[in-house]
Amino acid sequence: MMDKPAEQLRPGSAAAPGSASALGAALPFLALLLVGISFPLFGGGYWGLIATRACVYWVLVSGLNLVVGFAGQIAIGWVALLTLGAYTTSVLTAGTVTPPLPPYLALLIAAVVGAIFGLIIGLPALRLRTFYFAITTLGFATIVTQVALAWQSVTGGGVGVPGPILPEPFSSQWGFYYFCFGLAAICTWMTANVAASRFGRALTAIRDAEVAAEASGISKPALLTAVFLFSGAVAAVAGGLFAALQSYITPDAFTLDLSILFFIAILIGGHGSILGPLLGTILLTVLPEFAAPLVAWSTFLYAVLLLVIVLVIPGGIAEILDFRNRRPLESGRAIVPRPDLLPRLFGAPSDPGVLRLEQVALSFGGVHAIDGLDLEIHPAQVHGLIGPNGSGKTTTLNVISGYYAQQSGAVRLNDIALPVLACQRRAHMRIARTFQTPRLVGAASVLENVMIGGTVDGEGTFVESLLSLPRHRRDEVMLRDTAMLALAVVGLERLAPVRADRLQHSELRFTEIARALMLRPAFLLLDEPAAGLSAEEIVRLGALLKAIARGGTGVLLVEHHADLIFDICHHITVLNLGRMLAAGTPAEIRSHREVVSAYLGG
Amino acid sequence: MSMTRRQTLASAGAAVIAGGLAKPAIAAKEPIRIGYLPALTGLSSSTGIGLNRGAQLAVQEINEAGGIDGRQIELISRDTQSDPTKAVNAAVELTRQQQVHVIIGPLNSGESLAVVPQLARLNMPELHPCWVDSLTDPQKYPMCFRAAPTNRQIGGAANRYVVDVLKLRKVAVIGDTTGYATASVNAYVPMLKAKGAEVVYQGNVDAANPDVKPEMLRMRSAGAEAIMPWSVNAGFLSRLINARGEMEWDVPIVGQTTLGSGQTKALLEKPEYWAKVYPNNFRSCCFDAQGRLPERTAAFVERLHKAKVDTSDTLLWWVAAGYDAPMMVAEAVKHAGGTKAEDIVGYWNQLKNYPGIYGDISFTPEQHDGYPDDEIVMCEANSLKDGAFRLAPGYAA
Amino acid sequence: MIESIVSYGLAVGCIYALIGITYNVMFSASRVFSFTSGTLGMLGGVLGSLFIARMGMPVAAGFLLALAAGALFGIVTEIVAVRPVLKNLEQHLYVLSTLALALMIQQLTAIEWSTEPQPFPRLLNVARGGFDQQFWLPMLACIVVVVGLELLYRHTLVGRAFLAIAEDNYAARALGLPERRLRMASYALAGVIGALAGFAGGEMLLAFFANAPMLTFYGFVPVALGGMGNNRGAVIAGLLLGLFEQVANFLVGGIFASVAVFTVFIIVLLARPEGLAGAAVQRRV
Repeated sequence: MMDKPAEQLRPGSAAAPGSASALGAALPFLALLLVGISFPLFGGGYWGLIATRACVYWVLVSGLNLVVGFAGQIAIGWVALLTLGAYTTSVLTAGTVTPPLPPYLALLIAAVVGAIFGLIIGLPALRLRTFYFAITTLGFATIVTQVALAWQSVTGGGVGVPGPILPEPFSSQWGFYYFCFGLAAICTWMTANVAASRFGRALTAIRDAEVAAEASGISKPALLTAVFLFSGAVAAVAGGLFAALQSYITPDAFTLDLSILFFIAILIGGHGSILGPLLGTILLTVLPEFAAPLVAWSTFLYAVLLLVIVLVIPGGIAEILDFRNRRPLESGRAIVPRPDLLPRLFGAPSDPGVLRLEQVALSFGGVHAIDGLDLEIHPAQVHGLIGPNGSGKTTTLNVISGYYAQQSGAVRLNDIALPVLACQRRAHMRIARTFQTPRLVGAASVLENVMIGGTVDGEGTFVESLLSLPRHRRDEVMLRDTAMLALAVVGLERLAPVRADRLQHSELRFTEIARALMLRPAFLLLDEPAAGLSAEEIVRLGALLKAIARGGTGVLLVEHHADLIFDICHHITVLNLGRMLAAGTPAEIRSHREVVSAYLGG
Repeated sequence: MSMTRRQTLASAGAAVIAGGLAKPAIAAKEPIRIGYLPALTGLSSSTGIGLNRGAQLAVQEINEAGGIDGRQIELISRDTQSDPTKAVNAAVELTRQQQVHVIIGPLNSGESLAVVPQLARLNMPELHPCWVDSLTDPQKYPMCFRAAPTNRQIGGAANRYVVDVLKLRKVAVIGDTTGYATASVNAYVPMLKAKGAEVVYQGNVDAANPDVKPEMLRMRSAGAEAIMPWSVNAGFLSRLINARGEMEWDVPIVGQTTLGSGQTKALLEKPEYWAKVYPNNFRSCCFDAQGRLPERTAAFVERLHKAKVDTSDTLLWWVAAGYDAPMMVAEAVKHAGGTKAEDIVGYWNQLKNYPGIYGDISFTPEQHDGYPDDEIVMCEANSLKDGAFRLAPGYAA
Repeated sequence: MIESIVSYGLAVGCIYALIGITYNVMFSASRVFSFTSGTLGMLGGVLGSLFIARMGMPVAAGFLLALAAGALFGIVTEIVAVRPVLKNLEQHLYVLSTLALALMIQQLTAIEWSTEPQPFPRLLNVARGGFDQQFWLPMLACIVVVVGLELLYRHTLVGRAFLAIAEDNYAARALGLPERRLRMASYALAGVIGALAGFAGGEMLLAFFANAPMLTFYGFVPVALGGMGNNRGAVIAGLLLGLFEQVANFLVGGIFASVAVFTVFIIVLLARPEGLAGAAVQRRV
């Protein structure tokens, strides 16, 4: 069998991605760093210009990558921030409006302006549908350019303004190159830190599994705010650098083509990757330089590249470079949970009280989804919820976990009413759940998916993650260790580094359970976890759920598999047409006449 | 004529590997490399297309005559696409990669505003035909020369015609949103006011905007008696002329030379709309009362016909100015005995009445604007023939 | 002055409304918005100018050919940019694929046709002036399309099949409706409408590749404000947009006018994300 001796499952064990693969991940960056530092030795002045341009673009794209690649927001018009940053820096150093400021201060002020406007441009994402948001960002890009054209007294209108000139030693061509290269390297480092933090994982959760992200306590507004602020700031700094590089800016330098370039670089690079978009940016900056006719066709080629990527390799360069996930997985894998590890995961037991539904009612139009339901979930018990399709089981779960607001009645934990429609708050109350269809981030590894479940337990702030400060690193160690333990509990620790979309259906279900366990939940709500599992797996699932309940968790199990229900539940409630048909012990329910005729049959 | 970038990359790479980018020794037969930055596509391409024809003819003639001291001229051209960013890129590439000796252009002020400071930093001699005043400065840009008039000269002539000859007081000044037009409008409005005229409308409109009617209606309701457009965009100018015709508004249009180009003519809805349009032009490209061009120009037009260079859809002065630039470079190399930057610049700094087709060009170390005031005239657009015009009515010499 | 504002504003508003209807027809068939809607409008103008002015075809022939090209491009959109990504609707890949396709066509037009606006031929040989054809042609096109769609959806089997696919995809398929062919037909119809918009408005907007991004935005405003899939809302919103834009043009001039339009649009959208006439967002758990 594949049971491992307990010692091997110590924190930081070999099953977790170790230092060897961390070095492997860093290698391409180190190589690029080396090439970049030594570039002046072999590149001529012209290629120096192109390299500097690529560095400036990357400063912007690295921030936009968090918005587009990680958070999945389709912000096409980000050139607006480049324009803002370029003009702010140039006008402040030229001294047309204020007394001339030193360039570094101007860049700093531009960063602040960029952060604010990044937030203004980005926040509609919280209110608007995807396509609408994309169009509004395009609108912003046009507005900024038009304002630059019209506000002649400040921006010079069509005439433009001279760009800032950095002081020695950055005023020479190579000096400026190193300045831009340094900033590009810092941005790479910072965004890589975010990617490997709970914030980066939370962003991918918002992108690919928003509903599950909310259940894990992730607040989309807070996270997007942080990301838009950062992204806006670096985009504006990139604008200042762009102005310095051009030595003179006019509104027509900030074309929509440039916005498209940034956006496509990220998509070519691949979602959720730092290296991919970095290579994408370099590729797209350098490509038109290889033949004069290509310059005119550059946007056309970018568009063709985008179409090909979207249709053929949506994962982009990152997917192509993902060698680790090409290695075949072992066949005939079995899921062998280790319930004995639960006490290690949960620590000391606590008494959360009773989770009670009182006369909850909810209708959709004329349909009474839940019609006056009373339910009690006690800790250390498995409570089954069964009934025919459409009887309101999932709706009940959704009301408890805060996705739907009941129209009457209350949901109480220890007699305190749970806030309505506050699905993100449930994680803080240690109410965890799984979903009818597994909602995982397919592009992330199993381990990362499970770590998402513990997001609320991290203490470090976004800035601390940006700069990889000690509290961020402590959070990471803590989350990783806990996640490995949770995976060991459900029996999937060998699949920790594997991309989630390569897993079998049953493995996805157990992964969701591991993610829920990260919260050490007081109450665990499961929505048909046995669907699609083999008989053997259902037995193991039952044993696991019983063990979880024994540890003090109140388990609410919505299921169709009668065997599992009758095997492990302490109490069963039967729903029909939104109303409770019967409630009692398994023995009582099994012989209940109406239940048998309405649902169980035979 | 021009190497592809792929060849350039390969050869540059080889040179580097061989050990550093040493300047090749001046061999007797090494070509004279002139970098050229026309805008052949994009919103401001009409000038570039015209100038380019002249430049190509000039280089062809020089090379067919054996070159300069046995050296052929190589004109390495990069289309800036009317984009200042691409212009900067190209200027640096021509300087560093192609190692040109002189750069001609950019041909549009918007692009030059970005390129001129760059080339000054790279110590590259530059000759350009752009009009915006700030594009020469013997202190800041000692190697940059302008073989063309400035905004002050052009605006002066046009404003003089409207106020002093046509005797009109209320003027509407309109430009597109390029750097050139913005700078021009900003320069000309105070000049008009100083002459006692009343500027009843001043605006910059996107050249690509298909609808100029609102602007024209605002001009009319402000009581404008003359319209002065400043833009090199033939489409934009033609739309203004068409709108005036559709509105049946009888006011003169006085301004940009492009108003008279064949491109503009082709976009007019009715040929009669071209009446009462008085663009700037230059004495060298205007016929006298007997319908004859100045001798030098007539000979030039002959050569154009023989070389099958088309002038019907452009302006003769563009072709002439384009022709003069490589000629002036060739002249400089011949007299300086080589392509060293200081020698070329030194020669130009003493240039007196160089007999260009476009005009007589003179420079001094303190004055890098070479075009004489008195050769700027106003002409009548619908007298276009072979790219040249008749002088505007009432325009005394 | 007033008549100029009203006639131009309503006419251009009809063009915006028609592009909005193009968006809606594509949306009805596939639950997806396509960036190619504005490009279709651009193609109507460019191809009309190409066929009639440059290649010298008679007006009727050029017209029909332009519409056919629109239908073809609509079908291409469906096959290349929409069908392959319908499986992962949540990933919103359709935004990228239709954006890419739209960009490709726009750039191709810019390079092969011209980067400058080219004139569009006069369609009817009537003197200029008064309530000119450049104003009433787009209005006529709009009326024809709205009435035609109404008749199609309510009174023909094909039209009702379109509606069925839009309302409930699964049920329609269960009934045996050929979903794929109906979707392609819808996209072809959308292509025709878009090309018609550009052709009818050609004299006003000129044959210009940059009309594509402009129409993509201005054609979407009626959809956003009028409600997704709501054609009547699109027409009203389109007309209002056209008038508002023209008034702004006269009052503050071209640059500020577009800023005004964008600002109002974004503010309205933030206040009511589902549009002024649309329905609220559906459940997602």
